[in-house]
Amino acid sequence: MSAPFLSPAEWQAVALSLRVATVATLASLPLGLAVAWVLARRRFPGHALLNGLVHLPLILPPVVTGYLLLLTFGRRGAVGEWLDGFGIVFAFRWTGAALAAAVMAFPLMVRAIRLSLEAVDPRLEQAAGTLGASPVRVFLTVTLPLILPGILAGAILAFAKAMGEFGATITFVASIPGETQTLPSAIYALLQVPGAEGRVARLVWIAVGLSMVALILSEALSRAVTRRVRGRR
Amino acid sequence: MRAPIRAIAAVCAALVLGGLRPVMAEPVRVFAAASLRTALDVVAADWTAAGNPSVSLTYAGSAALARQIIEGAPADVFLTASPEWMDAVEAAGLLVPGTRRDLLGNTLVLIGQGAEGPAVTLDPSLDLAALLGDGRLAMGMVDSVPAGVYGREALSALGLWDEAEPRVAQAADVRAALALVAAGEVPYGIAYLSDARAAREAGEAVHVAATFPPGTYGPVTYPVALVRDTAGARAFLDTLASPGAAAVFAAQGFLMRP
Amino acid sequence: MTLRVDIAHAYPGLALEVAFDAPPGVTALFGPSGAGKTTVAHAVAGLLRPDRGLVRLGDTVLTDTARRLHVPPHRRRIGCVFQDARLFPHRTVRGNLAYGQRRADAAAFDRIVALLDLAPLLPRGIAGLSGGEAARVAIGRALLSDPRLLVMDEPLASLDASRRMEILPCLERLRDEAGTPILYVSHAVDEVARLATTLVMIDRGRVRRAGPAEALFADPALMPLFGPRGGALIAGTVAGHHPDGLTEVRAAGGTLWLPALAAAPGAAIRLRIPAQDVILARTRPEGLSALNVLAATVTGVLADDAGVTVALAAGGPTILARITARSAAALALTPGTACFAILKSVALAQGGPD
Repeated sequence: MSAPFLSPAEWQAVALSLRVATVATLASLPLGLAVAWVLARRRFPGHALLNGLVHLPLILPPVVTGYLLLLTFGRRGAVGEWLDGFGIVFAFRWTGAALAAAVMAFPLMVRAIRLSLEAVDPRLEQAAGTLGASPVRVFLTVTLPLILPGILAGAILAFAKAMGEFGATITFVASIPGETQTLPSAIYALLQVPGAEGRVARLVWIAVGLSMVALILSEALSRAVTRRVRGRR
Repeated sequence: MRAPIRAIAAVCAALVLGGLRPVMAEPVRVFAAASLRTALDVVAADWTAAGNPSVSLTYAGSAALARQIIEGAPADVFLTASPEWMDAVEAAGLLVPGTRRDLLGNTLVLIGQGAEGPAVTLDPSLDLAALLGDGRLAMGMVDSVPAGVYGREALSALGLWDEAEPRVAQAADVRAALALVAAGEVPYGIAYLSDARAAREAGEAVHVAATFPPGTYGPVTYPVALVRDTAGARAFLDTLASPGAAAVFAAQGFLMRP
Repeated sequence: MTLRVDIAHAYPGLALEVAFDAPPGVTALFGPSGAGKTTVAHAVAGLLRPDRGLVRLGDTVLTDTARRLHVPPHRRRIGCVFQDARLFPHRTVRGNLAYGQRRADAAAFDRIVALLDLAPLLPRGIAGLSGGEAARVAIGRALLSDPRLLVMDEPLASLDASRRMEILPCLERLRDEAGTPILYVSHAVDEVARLATTLVMIDRGRVRRAGPAEALFADPALMPLFGPRGGALIAGTVAGHHPDGLTEVRAAGGTLWLPALAAAPGAAIRLRIPAQDVILARTRPEGLSALNVLAATVTGVLADDAGVTVALAAGGPTILARITARSAAALALTPGTACFAILKSVALAQGGPD
């Protein structure tokens, strides 16, 4: 009987990674959109501060970010304790892994969306206003469709980053098979064991394969949306 | 825009050149497991102060160090917490024959939250679920980090592993596991006595709640070997086994192997 | 429904202070570039908050700085057509047209589509539209939002001459059939001559004159502002078409002959007589190729740096002629002198106002 391609624990890590990355991306889209909009369209005291804060996870060592998450959202953390009252728990749960992934991926998402927002011709929005559309309707019917390619790009980038997130995750929620042992955690654990290179290679191939699929899908989707949005002939 | 470019070039040059220190007597390059840091720093400083060459100390996880040595990193002495990884380097033919020996041992302990706490009896009758409450048990990775591997071994020997396994939070290394206990995120963790001492010395709020009975795990072994045969490396290796060094290690909670 | 505008706004380089009333019909804001016309248009549309002033449409106050009142554009029900069509790239022509409709009104949709000849364009995306097509779609889109007032800011400025000629008839139909008052910003004399019911002449941030278009076009004092294309407007009726390619038009001053017009016999039309193309003679000329010769009496002579403008009464409406000072002296033209006006070209400002 030949050995299975991946052990059940390893498949579990793959599945968990997909789940964590998907949830992290989807859950941070609304906030990412809002923050990108504020940064792109509004000038206010503290603008530079907000921009810096958003980019912090890019600059800080991931372990530091993980530790900050632990202090804030852990069981004894300032916010974590309060959320516990509502039954929302991040510590040592896949939700925490998703939070860590979302935080690390957030700057990439915001950048991509902000860039596409800044590329929208404000005169189009002005014209929509003169046609009777309230600011909310303008955003939903004019701005949003035009920035859809940017949102998609931001989401794909965020997803890819979330799939590969390790340092913050393991520091915040440790590595618990089935809950927080994501694909990168599993690869890291295997790297600590002499002679496990073969298994590492298989997991790495899976990770690369997933990323390629995500990339190809995103390219196709992005082209389709851009075509629709640039105006057909 | 030439002035800023020149300034940047100057800064880069300074960074690069500043990093090239003049090499006088060749330092002894030691690759050591991270958990040895506190003790080894003292031993090396004392040795250099006694008129010997300086010691360049590189601390990291055993796996990372071993792989780097295998890939050709310049190490003279390798001191690791993992016999398996020492085997791997030996199998690659990189050790100076006859220089490998088991230098240190360690004691496995149960660490609790807070500077003080009730003692715990580690025997098969322990109600682990009650002890942990709704919290988890922080350990190093149970498949790879030595303290984690020994921890699982000990719990299995005590018949507590089945109860413990779903409650374990595996941290990247023992220091991370200790950090979780110190932060109050988990009520208990498993680590070496040396790690607990180092944490307490650093002011972290942890205490030793119990010591795992000898025989339930291990023995914990820290092998050491020469990777390059130089006079300085041999001298340092001998010093590591000397009574002076032994005293430093013992004070940190390590056991000396004869 | 009259639009009342009374605003002041300062830019670096321009201090705008205008006040005028725009009665129903097409009110043209006419003047050179930089005069402030677009600023006024934006203030009316709500896209600009003037430093000081009042904008009122009928009984509704849209902007009143004294009361800190400024109705935002999306609540004004004022349709805007800009110089760049600003069509939404992610929607088809049909989608663009329907954007401003409050409720789906198929009857209104079909009516506007027919008025602007948009039917073949409906399913298309906007990327392949020509400038003229895009302009028509933009106008249709603004109309379909059921505005109480249409503000058009140089909508034809980015089109070439033939495109412009294509669209002007649409705009005339708009004026005559759509029933929505229009504020039309332009620096092009021929557009304004064809479309305007009322003219507001703006120069360097001030209103120079405001009033009915025909009166202003016939005022010799305003000739310099119209430039070389200025000239009087007169109303006429198409009498009939002749087989040799000429159309006969009856005007108050006599019969005029034009190259074949597209208007039906009996249609009321407006003609523009470019002043530069009017030749004056003390005696009726013989053997000329020009067909249009009118007997006229000089009513005014106004000299300026570039020449002399002569106002003539040709049986009712005023015609302007632009001649050199030397000729004016040679012909000894003074008010009351009888003479003849030879019209070298009669441009059609088709479809006169009701």
